[in-house]
Amino acid sequence: MKKIDLHIHTIATIHDSDFTFCMDTLKRYVTEANLDAIAITNHDMFDAEQFRTINESLPIAVFPGIEINLDNGHILLMSDGSNVEDFESRSNDVSRRISQIGDSITVGDLEDIYGNLHNYLIIPHYDKNPSIRGQTLEDLLSYVTAGEVDSAKKFLRAIKDETKLTPVLFSDARMSDGLCRLPIRQTFLDCGELTFSAIRACFGDKGKVSLSDDEGNSLFQIFDDGQRMSTGLNVLLGDRSTGKTYTLDKINDVFEGVKYIEQFSLVQRDEAAYEREFKNEVQRKRSRFVDGYLSPFKAVLDDVMNVDLEGNERSVENYISTLLKSAEEADRRDAYSKVALFDETAFPVRDDKVLKDLIASVRQIIENIEYREMIEKHIDIQSLKKLACELIELLWSKALENKKRQFLNGLIKDIKESLKMRTSAVQVDDVDLYRVSMETRKVGRFSDIVNSLRKESVIFEESIQGFRVIASKSPFTKAGEILFASGVKTSFRDALKEYGDPYRYLQALISDGNLVRSELYRLFAKIEYKILNRDGFEVSGGERSEFRLLQEIKDAQNYDILLIDEPESSFDNMFLKSDVNQILREISKSMPVVVVTHNNTVGASVGADYLLYASKEVESGKVTYRIYSGYPTDKTLKSIDGRSIKSHKIILNSLEAGREAYESRRCGYEAIEDR
Amino acid sequence: MKLLKIDNNLGQFLDKSGEFQPIDRITKENLLSLVDLTLNEEVEFDEYDEEKIRNQAHQIIYKSIHEKLRGLRDRKQEFIDESERLYLAEYERYKDETSQQAD
Repeated sequence: MKKIDLHIHTIATIHDSDFTFCMDTLKRYVTEANLDAIAITNHDMFDAEQFRTINESLPIAVFPGIEINLDNGHILLMSDGSNVEDFESRSNDVSRRISQIGDSITVGDLEDIYGNLHNYLIIPHYDKNPSIRGQTLEDLLSYVTAGEVDSAKKFLRAIKDETKLTPVLFSDARMSDGLCRLPIRQTFLDCGELTFSAIRACFGDKGKVSLSDDEGNSLFQIFDDGQRMSTGLNVLLGDRSTGKTYTLDKINDVFEGVKYIEQFSLVQRDEAAYEREFKNEVQRKRSRFVDGYLSPFKAVLDDVMNVDLEGNERSVENYISTLLKSAEEADRRDAYSKVALFDETAFPVRDDKVLKDLIASVRQIIENIEYREMIEKHIDIQSLKKLACELIELLWSKALENKKRQFLNGLIKDIKESLKMRTSAVQVDDVDLYRVSMETRKVGRFSDIVNSLRKESVIFEESIQGFRVIASKSPFTKAGEILFASGVKTSFRDALKEYGDPYRYLQALISDGNLVRSELYRLFAKIEYKILNRDGFEVSGGERSEFRLLQEIKDAQNYDILLIDEPESSFDNMFLKSDVNQILREISKSMPVVVVTHNNTVGASVGADYLLYASKEVESGKVTYRIYSGYPTDKTLKSIDGRSIKSHKIILNSLEAGREAYESRRCGYEAIEDR
Repeated sequence: MKLLKIDNNLGQFLDKSGEFQPIDRITKENLLSLVDLTLNEEVEFDEYDEEKIRNQAHQIIYKSIHEKLRGLRDRKQEFIDESERLYLAEYERYKDETSQQAD
């Protein structure tokens, strides 16, 4: 097996934080990590002189390379090193085109600069930021040899998924003089002589790349001393103060994307405070849920709040009464009131919402890519485009017409007002009957929506390992419930009397000066958000901790590694065995998990893939912390420096408080069983 | 259905009971019911004709109301389209909802 790291930085560019390259650091890395090949890949530049110095100083294969900003993602491009001058001159072209942050080139540019891209190894950032995706990845795909990832979890995910590229894990490290911790991200290749073409061949076969030299992808390196652990479920054992938590802290420090559930973080130390905190959290989730659920309703409400039905009725009344009065006084009309414009009405100004919606719908059909095939089967897109153009032109002409009308309405209003000042005749108050009727319809539709909203039903349900999160809606029945939903100290007794008529209820709420208009949408239906236990009751006491632990573990799916320090601190064995073990086993199928435990229910029953044992040893008056590791079936666990320890003994000591205690417990159980 | 007519040199409107009444007796409620009919039914009106209406008060009232209702009738389809689409997405979302997944 050959170990490679084809992503190493040796020059600080504008994309790096400042560092000074140190050849000794690079030499130490190559030696201690037992590397067989590296590539020098600085951002958007290649320095042939420095490359030659490095190449001559190292006894392994060194490939010239460059990391290029391509459409705002990154790719590694490496040559076989047969013509370093040529590679430098081409890469200088990249440097010219990418001279400041934000610059990038396209796949076309890349082809222009380097010619036949098949002559190079091209590795895009794949499951790693900033990644190459979408059309750029499509365009590049025929040249790509492998995809770079940044964690063991992502490496495994790509290995298992046939549709994904062959993953490679590289350090992406800066070889600076101050580098204290050596990189641990490398990839193993199953090949004989390590040539450029051998690397390319290995990348073409997922079976030839792995995370470890002898254990395929089941182990990966976690510390620079060579310590490894399983890519599945690891159990870390050890007595008190032997460095278990220290080890977790170190893993947390070395890796990015770690979900760390620290010891006692879920323990109930202060029952009252804990309950308060839990309730606040549920309340926060409820609030987020309610906002999401009600946001369409809020938009409706914001619109309906501007409708004044009483005002509309008044304006109709004014129209009729002034019209009748003006008719009555017809014979008393003077020169001013006889002017045709004296009782002229305003032109209706339309907002053409229906037409605008129609244009948006047509555009959606034209622009949809996902269902393009099906759409084209039934509709001629060209005709649809013509339709869209025609509709848009119509909208333009209507908009122009509206502009004219608005101008004329202003003019008519001015003239009417001037005439009115010069006469005692009654002027007819105009009314927009279209708007009056439409607003009545609006209120009707609003009432329908509110009534649907108030109908009792479950609107969201989710199960988490036996717990159920339920959101339900129902009508308010007491003023206190509305008070709780509003969070404002005011009386809702009068408003509640109007609750049966949504519009009148809204008016009652608006008339209360204590309430903020933008928050009224929460006061139309009661939305409850509850977490129920297995028996259908609201969770209490210890169940809260259980629920939180399960949620934390579930949340870990968004991370690359999960660390849990002594979950037994606050849970009973039945819960640990039935729920925690099951969910840990499940999650460890897709990501590395480390559990520190003293508890035999977890330690012995969880079905660990790998055991780690932390030990504090005093040698010649000096304290040394060691980690022994191996598979659960191994008779001995081994440390990095070659020591070994019997597995059976440490398991009994760590999980059963020693052989004697274990035997005595066993006899005790047997005795009870015999009775 | 005819809502406004000119008969006996007088402007008249259809009231709720289906009887025609002199236009100068029209109230706010009468007008609103004529508006509803205009938007919901096939309606017609006698064209305004100054010659046919002798009474000057009737002329003024008939002319104004006739213009209003005719304007509304011309926009009937627009009104139907617009009112059918009112808050439609929201209406369908909350209507008869029994179960829905949130994110």
